[in-house]
Amino acid sequence: MKKLTALLLALVMTFGMVACGSKTNDTTTTPSTGDTSSTDTTDTGDTGDTSTEDTGSGEKLYIPVMAKGFQHAYWQAVKQGADQAAEELSVEIYFAGPASETNIDEQVNMVKTELAKNPKAMALAALSTDSVTEILAECAEKNIPVIGFDSGVPGDTTGAVKATAATDNEAAAAIAAEKFGENETVVAAMQNATSDAPIVIGCLSQDAVSASVTGRTTGFVNKMAEIAETYQPGKVSIEGHTTWEKKVENPAIIIRVEVSATTEATSLQTSASALLGMEGITAIFCSNEGAVTGFLAATSDGSDLGEGGKYEGLVVAGFDAGSAQKNAVRNGWFIGSVTQDPVQIGYQAVALAVAAANGEEVADVDTGAKWYDATNIDDPDMATLVYD
Amino acid sequence: MSEILLNMHGIQKYFPGVHALDNAQLELHAGEVLALIGENGAGKSTLMKILTGIYTKDDGVIELYGKPTEIQSPSHAQQLGISIVHQELNLMQDLTVAENIFVGRESTKGLFLDKKEQNRKTDELLQSLHLNITARTVVKRLTVAQQQMVEIAKALSYNNTKILIMDEPSASLTTAEIEDLFTFIRRLKATGVGIIYISHRMDELKEITDRVTVMRDGQYVDTVNTAETTVDQIVQMMVGRVIYEEPKSHSNVAPDAPVVLEARNLCSDMVKDVSFQLHKGEILGFAGLMGAGRTETMRLLSGADPKTSGQILVNGKEVHIRRPKDAVKAGIGYLSEDRKRYGLCLGLSVADNTAMASLDSLTVGPFVQDGKVAQVTQEYIQKLRTKTPSGKTLARSLSGGNQQKVVIAKWLLRDCDVLIFDEPTRGIDVGAKSEIYKLMNQLAAEGKSIIMISSELPEVLRMSDRVMVMCEGRLTGELDISEATQERIMTYATMR
Amino acid sequence: MNKLGTKKLDMQKLLAPAALVILYIFFSIIGNNFLTFDTLKNILESSYYIGFMAFGVTFVIIAGGIDLSIGTVMMASALLGAYTFKQHDWPLVASLILTVGVGTVFGLLNGGLIAKLKLPPFIATLGTMMMAQGAGSIITNVQSQTWPTATEPVGGWFKPVFIRSELFGAKNFPVGAIWLIAFFIIAALILHKTKFGRYNYAIGSNEEAARLSGINTDNWKVGIYTLCGAFCGMAGIFYAAAYTTITPGTGNGQELNAIAGVVIGGTSMSGGAGSMVGTIIGVFIMSVLKNGLSACGLQNHWQTFFTGVVVIGAVLLDIQRTKAANRVKKG
Repeated sequence: MKKLTALLLALVMTFGMVACGSKTNDTTTTPSTGDTSSTDTTDTGDTGDTSTEDTGSGEKLYIPVMAKGFQHAYWQAVKQGADQAAEELSVEIYFAGPASETNIDEQVNMVKTELAKNPKAMALAALSTDSVTEILAECAEKNIPVIGFDSGVPGDTTGAVKATAATDNEAAAAIAAEKFGENETVVAAMQNATSDAPIVIGCLSQDAVSASVTGRTTGFVNKMAEIAETYQPGKVSIEGHTTWEKKVENPAIIIRVEVSATTEATSLQTSASALLGMEGITAIFCSNEGAVTGFLAATSDGSDLGEGGKYEGLVVAGFDAGSAQKNAVRNGWFIGSVTQDPVQIGYQAVALAVAAANGEEVADVDTGAKWYDATNIDDPDMATLVYD
Repeated sequence: MSEILLNMHGIQKYFPGVHALDNAQLELHAGEVLALIGENGAGKSTLMKILTGIYTKDDGVIELYGKPTEIQSPSHAQQLGISIVHQELNLMQDLTVAENIFVGRESTKGLFLDKKEQNRKTDELLQSLHLNITARTVVKRLTVAQQQMVEIAKALSYNNTKILIMDEPSASLTTAEIEDLFTFIRRLKATGVGIIYISHRMDELKEITDRVTVMRDGQYVDTVNTAETTVDQIVQMMVGRVIYEEPKSHSNVAPDAPVVLEARNLCSDMVKDVSFQLHKGEILGFAGLMGAGRTETMRLLSGADPKTSGQILVNGKEVHIRRPKDAVKAGIGYLSEDRKRYGLCLGLSVADNTAMASLDSLTVGPFVQDGKVAQVTQEYIQKLRTKTPSGKTLARSLSGGNQQKVVIAKWLLRDCDVLIFDEPTRGIDVGAKSEIYKLMNQLAAEGKSIIMISSELPEVLRMSDRVMVMCEGRLTGELDISEATQERIMTYATMR
Repeated sequence: MNKLGTKKLDMQKLLAPAALVILYIFFSIIGNNFLTFDTLKNILESSYYIGFMAFGVTFVIIAGGIDLSIGTVMMASALLGAYTFKQHDWPLVASLILTVGVGTVFGLLNGGLIAKLKLPPFIATLGTMMMAQGAGSIITNVQSQTWPTATEPVGGWFKPVFIRSELFGAKNFPVGAIWLIAFFIIAALILHKTKFGRYNYAIGSNEEAARLSGINTDNWKVGIYTLCGAFCGMAGIFYAAAYTTITPGTGNGQELNAIAGVVIGGTSMSGGAGSMVGTIIGVFIMSVLKNGLSACGLQNHWQTFFTGVVVIGAVLLDIQRTKAANRVKKG
């Protein structure tokens, strides 16, 4: 009995040690100090709460980078950019995110734990601003500058957030609407639409919670409505979710916003199938990688969109990248997709955090968005933006 | 003398804090039935577990077929030709006889089961044992006795079984079924198998066994030839004293004793129009074969199952019993034959079990008065002479007889005037049995009224003031104890 | 022999608290900034809501049942509370009462399905788990809902009252701990000192024997599940106080954290045995483990992994313990 207890405890502890040890190897360090880094790492935190202003010396700056997730290739690209900046600026970063983008509690716990280590600055992509308000207040009080990235920390009132490195989501999604406006199939459909046979333009979003997805949805819906109005004035109805709802009687063009019940792929697939099953469906915009994944799952990995497929002729645009989406674009199943520059986001987040930690004034950085389609997807300067 | 199959001697076994076997010994000959008896805790089970490889011995020698042998595991024991039939039936009720017998070593043809082959082998086995059962029968359709036979067939189906251990094989059988079992055992022993027969029923030993080995407190007492001894001598060896109340020759109930409980035309699926009266201070025996509807009748009285029609009167007034709570309120306490399933919360303490039905009177506001519970529990432990280290001991760790006493305490504390004992001494060893008998007589003398269901006719005759006999859900006879004999009861019990 | 047995069992009762202390010391030595007030506060704050759920489900598990719906019911409660407060301008107190009410109603539903309609607990609560998850999303139209933060003019007292405020000279005193301990005491009193608790054990140990003893087991079971639901409602309040924003469609999986805490605390999944002290210690062990591992710089997948190891270890230990106890008795 006692033996078993001892064994169990020993096991847990050994695992703990091994795991703690292995972590040190994961952390990004500059090659020049790589050989001594494993001992340095533990020290960094300890000195963090004793020394206050000494950042220029041999001790490397420790910056937690709190992402919204890990699950999509997108976040891996962000991490790549962050790692790159860490290496160039010779700082140590800790990149982490919750297992799922709805796990607000997980992220809050994570941020709290990092804050307990008294870092010099922190980069944060908050799942919910309200949930981290108290934490931000604490940062403001302790003079720990916070840099927002990706969707950032919208609506922060504590003053802790000094700058944000992000894409202008509304503007980015509007690009997709404009592309629909230039597409012959969609234009023809809009012209020929009547109240008796209305056409549907869908927007598939994974939630109505996160600022980035709602921003994109808003950007797309508004721009699309604006374009549609030029063809069918007064007959454009926005339906599907109360946030964007603007219904009119006898519409000729229906812009349908489909928000999935959860962010899981199966749930998005269900929503995508609902859109695909609608009478008069003409075009669909998927507002992030998750939505694209769900959509592709609902269309036999996209092959239903190709020649002879069930949904041949449906005009589809995506957002973000990832290998499945790239494949769909390359095959012409999607007319194209909008991409942010995740590498740049990660890079700028760390760069801004370092600057802020060193007491410099920092300002927001727009990390930009680009349209890519079958023609330019393999261009070298585009290839760096569209991650796998 | 015939060949010695097994000779265990000097066996020692220690458990944490207990010296379970101290110099135990046992000798088994080919073609004999050896009774292994002793009170619960005497070490019979432990010795058998060592023999079947479940436990390992700490010291001593096992000579098997003349060679010293170390039995390493249950499967090793089986290879060595040692099989056991457990007291509880271990058959899977929804599978067929063949599937049960060959579970774990099914006949296969490539990847698939070869049911045909399996059934053929089973039928062969059953025939060789002169059993009138087919391989394809689903076990739950068999009678308990037939299931017991299947268990034995299963034990014998392992090739070359030379030693068969039967742990209380008759516990759940009726008299007629036991006869079948004995015929079967006699046939088996003629083939040269040595049988170790564990039982609490003294009358059986005389009938079926050749020799008796007695154990007490983990030690070997003696081995005697059954023919040269008497039941009383064996019992004395077991407990070291003479026991049992004298059988009643006449009823102890006053002729003018008031009726405390009356059932009028009780009916349910299994119970057909049962009416009877129970008097104050009376022990009313219910005899009959298994499945005669006795337990079912009592379950109606205790509210465990709902009745479809009929009336129940307590002290002359009708009470509506729809659930156990109603029966308990009316002062009827039911002591099930299966204490572990229906009587006790084994994982709870003696005190919790004692107070279970009476918590309403032991609480102040929502809170249970633990002090008072402990106090009344102690009172009943003393009154009933329950052997337990304390009221905090878990019910699980008490012996069968003492568990029964805890259930009795539960109903006495609840002030139940009518106690229904369903097989009050099943699974209880001889010493404790006599205590339960004494207790029942004492309770009756104090004015409690008792209904006792029993399948052991000697028990019925020893305890009852009056005997009711049931068959197939109906009351078929009523006998005053002065006119009751085993034969008359059996006549009624088989009266269709 | 019995003396020997009891002594050994008492030793084992100390095992869980000892493990908690050892883990805490262990992480204090090797963790980064672990032995600080902030970290202690984090440990406490992340255990409130799991603690409340675990208290509730302890009753259910001791009664031999299981409640899989606790996680989503907690979320649905918190979601509806926030919804009425934000979207319909209910007074905060009313929303808080509603939060507990929603949990209680789901508990009542579970109890009814299990005790009266005789559904197996696993199935019944699997159903209500999904119902609660769906109900939250339907009513809020899949929009996340927020509870008031400390700086808000309306309901700004929410967080200071339930999670942390300036008290006893500390700026961020973890008030929630006082609530947790208060309700721990209440739960422990109910379980160990009342008729309700006694019947709870009896039902878990042997339901049929309890019924035949004249206990109306069906009604008590409804009570047990309802109490569990009420605790989930309270868990919803503390979840809200700790994390502010409630997302529809979540909560799935939280029940397993609570159940794991109960199991680590030594409560038997087969019912009839367990204690409230064990549960609170089990919850803290998980919380210390999570915070400690992240103080070592390990990400949450590691924390989940180790929680799994501890759960299995705790149950193995429990099996050993029962075996040892049985062996002593049989002799």
